[in-house]
Amino acid sequence: MTIVSRPWQRLSPAGRVLLPLAAVAGGLGVVFLGGVSSGILPNLWSWVYEALNDNVPLLRFIVAATAVLLFTVPTAFVIIFLEMKVIALQNLRLGPNRQGPWGVLASTLHGFKVLAKEDFTPTGADVPVFTLAPVVVYLASVMSFLVIPFAPGLFAQDMNLALLYFFAVGGLGVVGLMMAGWSSFNKYSLLGALRAAAQIISYEIPLTLSVVGVILLAGTLSLNTIVHQQAGTFLDWYVFRQPLAFVIFFIAATAEGNRTPFDLTEADSEIVAGFATEYSGMRFGFFFFAEYVNVFILSALTVTLFLGGWNAPLDLTPVWQALGAHPGAIDLSGLGVGLLIAVLVVPPILTVLLALPFWMLFTRLRFWQALVIGFLCFNALAGAAVLIWAAFSFDAVMGLLWFLGKTYVFVVIFVWMRATLPRVRIDQLMGFAWKWLLPASLANLFVTALAILIIAQVRG
Amino acid sequence: MAHVADVMRTLHDDPGLRFELLADLCGVDTGTAMEVVYHLWSAGTRDWLRVVATGLSREDPRAPSVTFLWRGAEWAEREAYDMFGIVFEGNRDLRRIYMPPDYRSFPLRKDFLLPDDASRSPGEGVRPMEAAPEPAVLAGTPADVRRAREASR
Amino acid sequence: MTSPETKVRSLDDPSVFVDTPATIYDAIPPYPPRTEREAEFYTLREGEMLINIGPQHPSTHGVLRVVLKIDGERIVDLDPVLGYLHRGVEKICENSDWHMVISHCDPLEYIASMFSEYVPVLAAEKLLDVTVPRRAEYIRVLACELNRISSHALFMGWLALDLGGITPILYGFLERDEIVEMLAALTGQRLLFNYMRIGGVNGDLNHEFMSRLGDWMSHALRHIEDSMTLINSNEIFVGRTRGLGRIDRQTALRMCLSGPPLRATGIPYDVRRAHPYSVYPELEFEIPTREEGDSYARYLLHLDEIKQSIHIIDQVLHRLPDGPVMAKLPRLLRPRPGRAWAAIESPRGQYGVYAMSDGTDQPFRLRIHDPSFFNLQAVGLLTPGHLIADIMAIMASLDPIMGGVDK
Repeated sequence: MTIVSRPWQRLSPAGRVLLPLAAVAGGLGVVFLGGVSSGILPNLWSWVYEALNDNVPLLRFIVAATAVLLFTVPTAFVIIFLEMKVIALQNLRLGPNRQGPWGVLASTLHGFKVLAKEDFTPTGADVPVFTLAPVVVYLASVMSFLVIPFAPGLFAQDMNLALLYFFAVGGLGVVGLMMAGWSSFNKYSLLGALRAAAQIISYEIPLTLSVVGVILLAGTLSLNTIVHQQAGTFLDWYVFRQPLAFVIFFIAATAEGNRTPFDLTEADSEIVAGFATEYSGMRFGFFFFAEYVNVFILSALTVTLFLGGWNAPLDLTPVWQALGAHPGAIDLSGLGVGLLIAVLVVPPILTVLLALPFWMLFTRLRFWQALVIGFLCFNALAGAAVLIWAAFSFDAVMGLLWFLGKTYVFVVIFVWMRATLPRVRIDQLMGFAWKWLLPASLANLFVTALAILIIAQVRG
Repeated sequence: MAHVADVMRTLHDDPGLRFELLADLCGVDTGTAMEVVYHLWSAGTRDWLRVVATGLSREDPRAPSVTFLWRGAEWAEREAYDMFGIVFEGNRDLRRIYMPPDYRSFPLRKDFLLPDDASRSPGEGVRPMEAAPEPAVLAGTPADVRRAREASR
Repeated sequence: MTSPETKVRSLDDPSVFVDTPATIYDAIPPYPPRTEREAEFYTLREGEMLINIGPQHPSTHGVLRVVLKIDGERIVDLDPVLGYLHRGVEKICENSDWHMVISHCDPLEYIASMFSEYVPVLAAEKLLDVTVPRRAEYIRVLACELNRISSHALFMGWLALDLGGITPILYGFLERDEIVEMLAALTGQRLLFNYMRIGGVNGDLNHEFMSRLGDWMSHALRHIEDSMTLINSNEIFVGRTRGLGRIDRQTALRMCLSGPPLRATGIPYDVRRAHPYSVYPELEFEIPTREEGDSYARYLLHLDEIKQSIHIIDQVLHRLPDGPVMAKLPRLLRPRPGRAWAAIESPRGQYGVYAMSDGTDQPFRLRIHDPSFFNLQAVGLLTPGHLIADIMAIMASLDPIMGGVDK
């Protein structure tokens, strides 16, 4: 028993997290003070600063990629929770309602549970391929995130080949699925993987072809430009000019994302879990995440291409100008030291003020419990205030809100379809893709091109 | 015994009788002989008929199969074979249906006394615990001690 | 006479895991084929693969193991392996009292256990020449029809679940829950009722049962029809089930089918009309049939049967006489030596019991003829040629319950 392990055993779990953190913070503080006092740190800092300054584009890319990667995780959590809750409500039951208010922490806790599971590879599996398959699938989903325009100015990369890049990278998911199915040493997985490959490859063609109409209308492959071209009112959105393409795209996107009614790759009433039968723990978590990130991406793409991206349905610029919104409209720096005092003094006062009604009305609450509730309410109020300030100062915030709102409408439509529709068979699925969607998208393309030519002739 | 098949065919085909629905096929062990009992239903006369093919020996019961008339009787005959040991000649698929493939006994016979017979099934079954332990292994177990105490009393 | 000496290689054997060839995980059994059919099935041609839809599976209706021989996605042949739920009920019944038989036969068709209890009781009553009081007969019909509706509601949800729709089963369970609560008020149990007794039923109707029944009857048909509109005309559901697993009349008779699979082919054979028992001769109801014989027809037939059952319950409630619910019988039952065959119409088909009594208080032979056992044979006939996804549709539409298949 060393001098460390005995006290360590007596710590509570919270203590076991906080103590190392405190130790690290203390160590960093010591290093910092030492560095500053001896003069090493400023030199180091100026060198680092210069290096960063010289490579701003690279830095921007790294930050963007990291942000995108980190954004996918909460997105997946939110969509998983939405799926559980919305399907439950449609099934006339409640869904998760015990973890957090209305069960919102359910998917987060599922994520932690998945991390804690045993990580094994089945006997006879091809271990390197088995391990890399979920990575490839997740990578394909995340890489497509790089080109989605969330708001004016808020995008990871603005390539002028963005749409082409998107479809190219989206096709990588098939490789990951095949790797998963083949390396699992299981006939069910193989069947599921082959079904998945056949399905995704067949539906990529109508997916891409239906988008060509939009490309013709916009004149560019860059998603950012496509969204800019849909500015104005909602009648400028491409969904009204390309309704057939929208329908084809949505159906093909459902099939690409392996969602019901085209979810026979993971049909759990036939081939247990398809390609992911032998996966458990975080490996399965990767597949799971990748599927929901895919749902988000496909909805985001639908919104970007057909529903105006981050554009509001009506042109709200007169409204904002009338309200006086522009960068610097609410100038908080003018408060000077008053801002510091406000930040230090207002939260406790507001917390107590908001806690008092709860403490007075509910006699079973003790004061500290009421304080907690008051703190939560204060957080909500402060969040709303910050949102309003941001909406006034940056038009990116409103754009982001519109974009996320529209995307989540489509996410809920995907979840709704899962709750209500049964599954199609593989031959019906392939027949539908090749005999109906492909000719329809070709016809759409033809008509669009013809229309553009005619209109151009008529105009000039 | 061979005329069971003819009787069945007559009952099935004869336009006056037309017993086209086989309601049940089962084996019976009467203690002295084995029987195969068929229940037939006729749409024509709307009547049930029970045909008892009796007199099969208990050591080597054989009966002709009626799967040429009713393909659905296949599994019923498999069950009669599995439970009694009655071999239906003409059934293409006479293997055990309920018991594991290496099971040695026929459970519904009157001389099958649980649990002794089950423990005498071969030990190379799917689970090693099906192996009957040697009497020496039982020495020292609570049952053995109790038996010894009873015997000495 | 006995099967050839077989040595089954066990996966518990430690030597098996050294240099394991992949073939140990194959579905081919490690002993030589015992019959002609087994040899034919387990000989694989070029490009064929054996896949095992194992006993643990979300969609085999219970523990059923099916070995499929597939060529790509198309099924070439099918071999169901039964016995995973075999409990030796017939042997147990030979060693138990005539009354105890009811509890043993209960879990055979566990979804519709009123029926699986009713038949041995009917057979015993034939051997005892007991007149069951009319009130008891009417209550029996009431309980059986309620159980039939709950079983059909579950069937329809189950069929949709196997096809991928996750909502209809919960709607089916809503109906089933109401009925099952009703029956729990009557019998004390929600699933395995133990309600039928030789000579009557266990207890009379009570207020809670009648009030729940009244509440339920007021909205029953409307609710069920509403719930099922989700899938009745759903393009995908109809496309998956129409034309699938089509049986014609001759094949149905040859396969000894009974119940909805038989009536969906057009043969109006219903034991309640063909060989009436209980008070069914006094009740007016039709026998719904359909002509097509495919899965969709079987599904719609179940919906029709629910309507007929509600009609029957209506009539029973109007005609319910007063009187005792149990005949006067000695506690120790010794039926006369003899044989009796009793059959009723359960939700799955003709449920029959062949009882032989030797004058003692234990049955000499109690043979239980379960409809699921014979209906399940049709799976082997109908599936070859279809895709893997269709097995579930076919099997679910034949509505087997493994408790009855395996006894």
